[in-house]
Amino acid sequence: MRNTATSPKLRLSGVTKSFVAPRTGQQTLAVAEMSLDVQTGEFICVVGPSGCGKSTVLNMIAGLDKPSGGTIEKDGQAITGPGADRGVMFQDYALMPWQTVEDNVGFGLRHGTPGRDLSKDQREQRIAHFIELVGLRGSERKYPHQLSGGMRQRVALARLLANGPDILLLDEPLGALDAQTRHILQAELLRIWGETAPVSERKTAIFITHDIEEAVLLADRVVVMSSHPGRVREVVTIDLPRPRANTARTNPRFGVLVEQIWSLIRDEAYRAIGGDTPQAKPTEEATA
Amino acid sequence: MKTWTQDTPAFALMRNMALPVLLGLLWQLWAMTLPEGSPAPAPLKVFESLGDLLVGGGLLSATAQSLGRVLLGFAAASVLGIALGLLMGSFAAMRENLDPIIESFRPIAPMAILPIAILWLGTGTPTALAIVAYASFFPVLVNTVHGVSRVDRKLLLAARTMGMSRLTILTRVVLPGALPSILLGSRLAMGVAWTAIIAAELAVGSKSGGGSSGGIGQMMFVFYAYNIDLNAIVVCMAVVGVVALLIDRLFRSAERHLIPWRP
Amino acid sequence: MTLPARSPVPGGPVASDPAQVRRRSWMLNRKLWVSLRAFGVFFLVWWLLHLWNGNPLQLPSPLKVFEALWGLLRDGEIASHASVSTLRMLVALALSITVAVPLGFLMGLSRRAEDLIDPLVEILRPISGIAWLPLALFIFGVGDTLPVFIMFYVGFFPILLNTIAGVRQTDPRLLAAARTMGVGRTALLVHVLVPSALPTVMVGIRLAFAASWAAIVAAELIGSPSGLGFAIEWYRQLLMTPKVFAFILAIGVVGYLCDLGLRALQHRMTPWAEGTGASS
Repeated sequence: MRNTATSPKLRLSGVTKSFVAPRTGQQTLAVAEMSLDVQTGEFICVVGPSGCGKSTVLNMIAGLDKPSGGTIEKDGQAITGPGADRGVMFQDYALMPWQTVEDNVGFGLRHGTPGRDLSKDQREQRIAHFIELVGLRGSERKYPHQLSGGMRQRVALARLLANGPDILLLDEPLGALDAQTRHILQAELLRIWGETAPVSERKTAIFITHDIEEAVLLADRVVVMSSHPGRVREVVTIDLPRPRANTARTNPRFGVLVEQIWSLIRDEAYRAIGGDTPQAKPTEEATA
Repeated sequence: MKTWTQDTPAFALMRNMALPVLLGLLWQLWAMTLPEGSPAPAPLKVFESLGDLLVGGGLLSATAQSLGRVLLGFAAASVLGIALGLLMGSFAAMRENLDPIIESFRPIAPMAILPIAILWLGTGTPTALAIVAYASFFPVLVNTVHGVSRVDRKLLLAARTMGMSRLTILTRVVLPGALPSILLGSRLAMGVAWTAIIAAELAVGSKSGGGSSGGIGQMMFVFYAYNIDLNAIVVCMAVVGVVALLIDRLFRSAERHLIPWRP
Repeated sequence: MTLPARSPVPGGPVASDPAQVRRRSWMLNRKLWVSLRAFGVFFLVWWLLHLWNGNPLQLPSPLKVFEALWGLLRDGEIASHASVSTLRMLVALALSITVAVPLGFLMGLSRRAEDLIDPLVEILRPISGIAWLPLALFIFGVGDTLPVFIMFYVGFFPILLNTIAGVRQTDPRLLAAARTMGVGRTALLVHVLVPSALPTVMVGIRLAFAASWAAIVAAELIGSPSGLGFAIEWYRQLLMTPKVFAFILAIGVVGYLCDLGLRALQHRMTPWAEGTGASS
């Protein structure tokens, strides 16, 4: 019998991923020997320079891709493919352009596994509830091309939540939004995730971002990756108190943590944009 | 969505030909079950017919005749189409005024013009040329206008500031800039022209009692109505297809050579 | 505790701003005026040419043509020929769609199917529908089947090619998203692939219509006892040139109207795919 208090929700053991170029047969190691334990109710952020394999890892956890080596286990069982228990929010939202907001939010409930045991009424109720939750009531009949980026984002979030997954996988979900909308949605995300609720009621979330401040704001732990090949450099525990939405940024510890993480990837980030790494400058820009 | 595991050229060729060859075999077998004097076409007889028509049957000359008409009609239509297209593309007033007329004629198929062409020009080569020219005109025109619209405005401004005359700008800046679209329009026009000539020759052949129109289309009609020979018809059909393919490939490679800067 | 329901970003259907509405109607009026003027000039030139030509059998006056047109409309002859042609057109289009779309999905999804069937398609495609006329005449004889067959053949290829393209360019992210919601294979096909490919398929249908409508004239001219194509040839033989012109006009108008109808259908069925329309 497993002791559920200590066994992780998600466990990556020695996961590697290599890609083979179809014509040349050349192998590239994208992810090397990654191991990570994620506990139930944890909010994990993954940061790292471009090309460090963050999205690849997420895809493997989602079951959209298979690891070349190592195992990924959820609740002690190996992952064999995609499923509604691991919901994904994609970078470009992946909304069905031919469906209204309501249809999109209800897509999984109506055509996939989440809604299987629900009656039609229960499904409709659920859809309405999550549309309301993300603040889109009144827009149910709109099509994605009629919505702004922020609204599309919220539709994707509502869809994700409506399917009731126990692990949330979010791939740079706020990347395409302007800073103000991003701040609003970060607060919303924390609220929906259950920041004000006890740990046992929170969902498990893995959130990819290249915005270090965002990562420090949201996460319980930040996984810092480096690239070529992708691997975990360090896992930084964020000991800021919750709820954070309105208080974290003014906490002096916030800046220290951001700087700590930035210093881990600074060199690689500079290299990624083709520049030389500066030597020991007193003040640096903290943006990734 | 798996791919075949073996990818050698020989295997690829076999795989490509599998279905056509199979169908050909079935066709031949079916034809062999028919009574002796049946006019139905059969693959072996078609090949025989091909041989006959090539040697002394006039296949090559008929093809050449059709092609000649296509080229002539296409050339005439292109000159007019490109010139008009350049003007219409550059001068909004012209485009505005001519557009309604041109857009009204576009849904009228080349073949619909045929009876009028026969009334005016009789049942010989001029009629065929007229149909081909009408058919080729629109793709060339439409694509030329589109090509002009895609010329970078800044290039035009730069030319004006260098004191180039309007005519020089047209020929030295606009024309090369619109060239990709013009070539595309030409390729489409040739395809349409080839179809049109066959249709015109067929129709004229059928109306003038297998008269003097000549060409592949007329040859096909003769084999339908006079010296009934379905195998020969199939040979002609194949020739139509092969020529269409060759024209298309030729124009595509011309496109690649003339505009190497285009990806 | 909910977020504001509306973002301060434009994103709705037609603007209800009165200034824009006014401008739009002014532009339409202007377009109408220019068209009328262009046609006016066209008819004037036609009439002058008619006078100069002097042979009413070759180039009748525009007035005579309109007279003929009016007469034909009144006694229903245009309507009957037009409906015959249009009916054949619809039947042929329906057949093309029924055969080409499923085949297109098969070939788009399965590399094997495509490798097998594509060579045959590529061999047949350059052989224009018109080239099939003599053989088809032999098989079907003069009548209804011939035009329908030719049109089916002509319309088949654009629809097939476009369906394959539509399936191929389905955004793989959408498929991935659906799979992460536990959507099964059948539902993936019906609820993701089909709607995703639909805009491209509709474009193919419009292209098929344009090609078929051009082919119907030839088919009816040579091989049918009725229809618009037959009519123009019939009246030519009778040397009733104004009626020939009138029917040619009818061909153009019916073709244009059908395309409008298809465009409207396209808009209704795939409202999210603006800007992918092809003008026929």
